[in-house]
Amino acid sequence: MSERVGIIGIGQSAFKARREDANYPELVREAVVLAMNDCNLGFDDVEGIVYSLSPDAMVGIGNAERLGVDAVGAKNKPFLRINTGGSTGISSVATAYYQVAAGACDVVLTAGADKVGECGDSQTVLNKIWDPQYERPLPLGTISMLAMSAVRYMHKYGMTEEDMAEVTVKNRHHAALNPNAHLRKEVTVDDVLASRYLCWPIKLFDACPQSSGGCAMILASERYIRAHNLDAVWITGVGNCSESYYLGDRMGQGVRADHADAYALAEACARSYRQAGITDPRTQIDVAELYAPFSNTEYHAIEAAGFAGLGESPAMLRDGEFRIGGRLPVNPSGGVLCTNAIAVTAMVRVAEVALQVWGRAGAHQVKGARRGIASGNGGDHQFFGTMVVEA
Amino acid sequence: MSYKSHPAVIGSATHFVASEHTQALEELIYEVSQAALADAGLAIDDIDGIVVAANDQYDGRAISVMAASGSVGGVDRDILSTPSSGEHAFVVGALRVASGQFRTQLVVSWSPTEVSSFSEAQRLAADPYFHRRLPLDEMSSHALQASSLGARVDNLEDMALSIVVKNRRNGAKAWPDLASGSVDAAEIKSSPTLRWPVRQGMVAAPVTGLVAMVLASPEWVADKRRSDAAWIKGMGWATEPSFLGDRDLATLPSLAAATKQAYDMAGVQAPLQEFQVAEVADATPYQELLAYEGLGLCGREDWERQVSADAFGPSGKLPVNLSGGALTLNPVFCTGLMRINELANQLRGRAGANQLADVEAGVAHAASGVAMQYNTVVVMTSRNAGTAQ
Repeated sequence: MSERVGIIGIGQSAFKARREDANYPELVREAVVLAMNDCNLGFDDVEGIVYSLSPDAMVGIGNAERLGVDAVGAKNKPFLRINTGGSTGISSVATAYYQVAAGACDVVLTAGADKVGECGDSQTVLNKIWDPQYERPLPLGTISMLAMSAVRYMHKYGMTEEDMAEVTVKNRHHAALNPNAHLRKEVTVDDVLASRYLCWPIKLFDACPQSSGGCAMILASERYIRAHNLDAVWITGVGNCSESYYLGDRMGQGVRADHADAYALAEACARSYRQAGITDPRTQIDVAELYAPFSNTEYHAIEAAGFAGLGESPAMLRDGEFRIGGRLPVNPSGGVLCTNAIAVTAMVRVAEVALQVWGRAGAHQVKGARRGIASGNGGDHQFFGTMVVEA
Repeated sequence: MSYKSHPAVIGSATHFVASEHTQALEELIYEVSQAALADAGLAIDDIDGIVVAANDQYDGRAISVMAASGSVGGVDRDILSTPSSGEHAFVVGALRVASGQFRTQLVVSWSPTEVSSFSEAQRLAADPYFHRRLPLDEMSSHALQASSLGARVDNLEDMALSIVVKNRRNGAKAWPDLASGSVDAAEIKSSPTLRWPVRQGMVAAPVTGLVAMVLASPEWVADKRRSDAAWIKGMGWATEPSFLGDRDLATLPSLAAATKQAYDMAGVQAPLQEFQVAEVADATPYQELLAYEGLGLCGREDWERQVSADAFGPSGKLPVNLSGGALTLNPVFCTGLMRINELANQLRGRAGANQLADVEAGVAHAASGVAMQYNTVVVMTSRNAGTAQ
């Protein structure tokens, strides 16, 4: 068996709508310091840095990673940036993982931050991700894109707007237990149904917030962890998979990836499970942090992770199976639906699973969690990353 | 540190297009990706993972790498992207193979020229409070670096002119249909000042370009009985600090750090004796001088003597930028990956009119960002010592 890669330090902000007390690099630094304190390492111990930043336009600075070099202590060290849109955070952790797994470094820091709540309007930026000739003029936005997915899922599996609201109710309940979550106020199904439509059937309370904050993680080789007697949890599976760029390629008869489902996410999960030796995720996974920025997308994410058959997850969620205390808690942190600082949102998914299997998740701890899966979605529901983390 | 597995370059392609063209970006990416696969003798089904790199400001898109999904054959496949630079895509691709978890990687980067102003696009990368109003584009930062160097080194402009002429002469052979810059030192010297002390004739105009490379594991190369691989024996990459004001622009500690990483891994002790060829960053000729020093090829105290002796010319003791470099052909965002690709071409015997005989080892250096903020060094060999290849 090849040497494992461990997670030894985690830092994340208490995410908020605005962080006027800290500029962009300072937010990154805040998370880095927290991660370093978490494992009692300093900048001199870090050999390489993977910088996590999604679209430049979100922070209003081209190649903004260049301004983050000092915040992560990267001067004269290996440093590069990853961007796969919303999945950037988990792609960055994966790149740090490959760097350690390759034997290039023993200790790698991955970090980033976002100020989505202060960027003016994130949708104005995200409207520019589509091909300028064909799909951009529709007009498409990330909300309308996944509203179409919701409609398709409703058509295929009978999901209702009440089913969507149940996801929000569950995740807000979880977020109320997580001091780092952005939206922590509990809501009812009626509250969600009464919120205004953004793009039918997605309503305001079905949608993630625009959050500001940072996240950092420190990964190390098993050899280094043993030699320095460090505490760690282990990345045992890494899987990535992509779909087409054009949404039109996911619609119509005979398409490879139906827009209702999360075809490539399922494949990414399968790749992670294969590497981790997981054959039955329903019994072998204890906790999941699945990237779902809209309530409806948590359903196809749950199914892609293998926790339910296609179309079966709404009923299982209604029965409480995915709540803390349920059979397989999903998004015990409150998930993306309650916190979305895009550059690090998918990194937070890995961090939260790591904290869970470490037994350090605090009030939203899933009892006895030993193995979990995290996922990230990026682009136009296009790039998918997954990671299995074990105690 | 040493990699668990040393990857090899087994295929590549470049594609350059005139400013007036009718192909969409996706078509260009598709063509260069397919050409690289064909060069490697592979089909897309043989590719385990893909790493792409592009710049949102140059492409006019948010998350510009999204456009590549279908064109690079990424549907159902694993795609990562490194918008920090084209050469970083190569680094990540190589790391993935080196981890032993991938057999093959396709690395693709592109740089279009439709942007209305490179300068304005680059100025967006300056911090919004202090530097953006200067105005500071990349050429301004390169000029500040050259100016800073000129304050320490005598006769710098003459050396810079010699390097431009050297690379352009190499480029005229390598790219007869695309090379157009002057090879007359007096003419270059009298050309208008672009950003002092960089003159218009000292740089090449941006060109739309794409680079694709295929990497594979030693096991894959052995299984396919490939004899034309370029082996990655050492790799280093490092960055300068965020702010120009925090740097001594006349020095490049990050290049020294990247060189140390790569040379330590490859076991290089005397680069001038061990390498037969080098490809280095040369967005301006002053960058090439800094590369000589940073790569341990020639200290600045010896620059004038060695440049005068044409030590880095095609018949010198270490030919540098036989491809003509970015002084001949400048696909802005891809120039770094181009340098790595040109080194691989020499080692694979695919360098065309400028192919050197008996090339066994060489070094590539790529630089990106303001005043060479990012530096990447790759040492490659034509034989994988210690194995059957």
